[in-house]
Amino acid sequence: MDKLKLIIAREYMSMVGRKSFIIMTILIPILMIACILLPIGIGYLNTEGSETEDVAVIDQTGRYGGAIQDTDLYHFIALRGDTIADPRAFYDKSDGRLTAVVIIPQDIDSVHQLTIYSDKTINSSLKMTLGRQLSDTLTRAHVASYGVPNLQKMIDESSVDVDVKSVKWGEDGTETETSTEIAMGIGFFLAFLIYMFVLMYGAMIMNGVIEEKTNRIVEVIVSSCKPFQLMMGKIIGVALVGLTQLAIWTVVMLALSVVAGSMLGLALGDTLGMAGDPAAVQAALAQGGNADMSGIVQAILGVNYLQIFTSFVFYFIGGYLLYAALFAAFGSAVDQANDASQFTTPIIIVMIIALYAGMACIDNPNGPMAFWCSMIPFTSPIVMMVRLPYDVPLWQLALSIVLLFGTATLTVWIASRIYRTGILLYGKKTGFKDLLRWLRH
Amino acid sequence: MRNYELRITNYELIYTAVNNFIEISDVVKQYDGHLALDHVSMNVPQGCIYGLLGPNGAGKTSLIRIINRITHQDSGTVMLDGRAITDDDVAHIGYLPEERGLYKKMKVGDQIVYLARLKGMDKTSATGEMLQWLERFDLGEWRDKKLEALSKGMQQKVQFIATVIHRPRLLIFDEPFSGFDPVNADQLKAEILRLKQEGSTVLFSTHNMESVEAICERITLINHSRVVLEGSVDDIRQQHKQGILAVDLARGETLQPCDTLYTLLPAAMGSRETLVRLNPGVSMHDAIAWLNDHCALAGFHEILPSMHDIFVNTVKDQNHGQA
Repeated sequence: MDKLKLIIAREYMSMVGRKSFIIMTILIPILMIACILLPIGIGYLNTEGSETEDVAVIDQTGRYGGAIQDTDLYHFIALRGDTIADPRAFYDKSDGRLTAVVIIPQDIDSVHQLTIYSDKTINSSLKMTLGRQLSDTLTRAHVASYGVPNLQKMIDESSVDVDVKSVKWGEDGTETETSTEIAMGIGFFLAFLIYMFVLMYGAMIMNGVIEEKTNRIVEVIVSSCKPFQLMMGKIIGVALVGLTQLAIWTVVMLALSVVAGSMLGLALGDTLGMAGDPAAVQAALAQGGNADMSGIVQAILGVNYLQIFTSFVFYFIGGYLLYAALFAAFGSAVDQANDASQFTTPIIIVMIIALYAGMACIDNPNGPMAFWCSMIPFTSPIVMMVRLPYDVPLWQLALSIVLLFGTATLTVWIASRIYRTGILLYGKKTGFKDLLRWLRH
Repeated sequence: MRNYELRITNYELIYTAVNNFIEISDVVKQYDGHLALDHVSMNVPQGCIYGLLGPNGAGKTSLIRIINRITHQDSGTVMLDGRAITDDDVAHIGYLPEERGLYKKMKVGDQIVYLARLKGMDKTSATGEMLQWLERFDLGEWRDKKLEALSKGMQQKVQFIATVIHRPRLLIFDEPFSGFDPVNADQLKAEILRLKQEGSTVLFSTHNMESVEAICERITLINHSRVVLEGSVDDIRQQHKQGILAVDLARGETLQPCDTLYTLLPAAMGSRETLVRLNPGVSMHDAIAWLNDHCALAGFHEILPSMHDIFVNTVKDQNHGQA
């Protein structure tokens, strides 16, 4: 036991002390924020940077051409249909100053169709702009054609947006407002966290094993301790490194949200403190007179956090253990990282399947695929996390966790048998067949 | 178990009780249909420097890994100091494998202390010993450097320190001199002898026969997974002598052939001595007497075969016998 502690401590210190750990701890949140901001930024650049293009609109009806509004991207020049006999010649004469020519046909009111001509590929934003604007204009024209006074106004006023509120009946007769969006968000975020953690730190374990093997230090170490201790020491040590990283991010996030919260007059810490007593929150919020805010907060509080976070801890540990043991076993079987891909590719494929299954489960969280994928231990840590906010029956949750930990224990045992043979073998190219043979030793 | 060995010293008969520190009996180890050790037995006396010899792939590493508790024998027993070896005994063993390595990114001092603590030392005494050993090898200033900053020779010294720091009663060195320059090899040899004097038993695995003659007292030669030769280095050389005599004659004389007693062998370059091989059945005494009568004999001595020749011949003979 003392040896295991020593090995864990060494693994932990050797990684946390590295520059790459500090860099990754800072870089990953930045990358994640960048992933969110980038599409927005790109969209901005797309419209901001480009110049306005001229588009000629030949209106054969004489009624709709002027109704088309310019956008950031396009300037529309309305022309009467009878002034231009040959649109093609007109376009060619413009010497490329015109991007496209749009013809609004005489019979647009009945066929609902217009055509864009150009010698370039016509991009979809132009099609969408024209389609939307003319659909709107034509609809209004139709409405007006009925000759009923104020009909458009009546239609506008009678348009209704229904807000669907969901309330969960507790067994004790209480009613809790729930929010599927928030539940979905939390579940998927935690599932993604498990996915990232397993892949990142699994790869770290594998590289550590390969490093010890190629350094040849492994023979010195296993003459002092059991190969199993070395393997478990690495797995646990790396897990602690990951948890440290998570802890750092959590603290930073909490600190930031407290700062942000106090600016909004609503500290997250207070809200969490009152979580056990929704009425108190309600009262506090009502005093603030912020009804919208109160709805959201009630919805946030409606999610069963205790269950979600307890389950998260179980799935996190179980899923990590399962995959980490596989990564360790595969690392022991190869001489260099390049040779490991034949073993890691199946792992990554299974992980990606799990992630997609998790996404699909959002639409049908209690369907058969969701059920089976949340029972199979290789996908359950991700899929069950997504399902959890949708009230999974307790027996399913329990069965899934038992299956996961049973399989993880078995995998650790299998991995340790492969590992103890693999780390002492050099220079042989190994495949899955060899691993099976080592298992039987 | 105790072996009683008869030794003659100064014409006095004394019986010495020899304690075997390691007793390996009838060990068999099989890998994937390949027999790595075929009923191997070996006794290493307490405080002895013992050579484990054999060509590559003979089974030396397999045997060493069994003693180190890295792998386990299929059958047979390994006794350490009179009782069956257990996992806890690794604290009393120091092992320097042939393929060496340490953590490249770890600091020299931390690394030695870590390995010492894995062997069961506490942190304080491990740190104290580490400092002393680094000073002894002139590596004191490198303590806080990462291992990769050291030259290869210095890394080898660090590895040696890590092997012996916990004062193991049994030291196992696999090709310890490979990768050392002659100066460092001598320092290493001196350290090994010092450790033996302090009471450690040393098991050597090597192909380097000069080092075997220089420091090993007893050897076991393994070939094709079996023990083919065992005993003290002196005895083995005596047993394998081939009646070769180096004769030194007075200046100007040449040795005359004598078909009944010996045949002349080609002389070594630059040597005044003439080598002769005695015919079978001719005693050394008779040959010297005849030579003394027929030439002006300045000196003579018997040539014992080198361990190198014994090794090569034994392995060759055995491979022939099998083929």
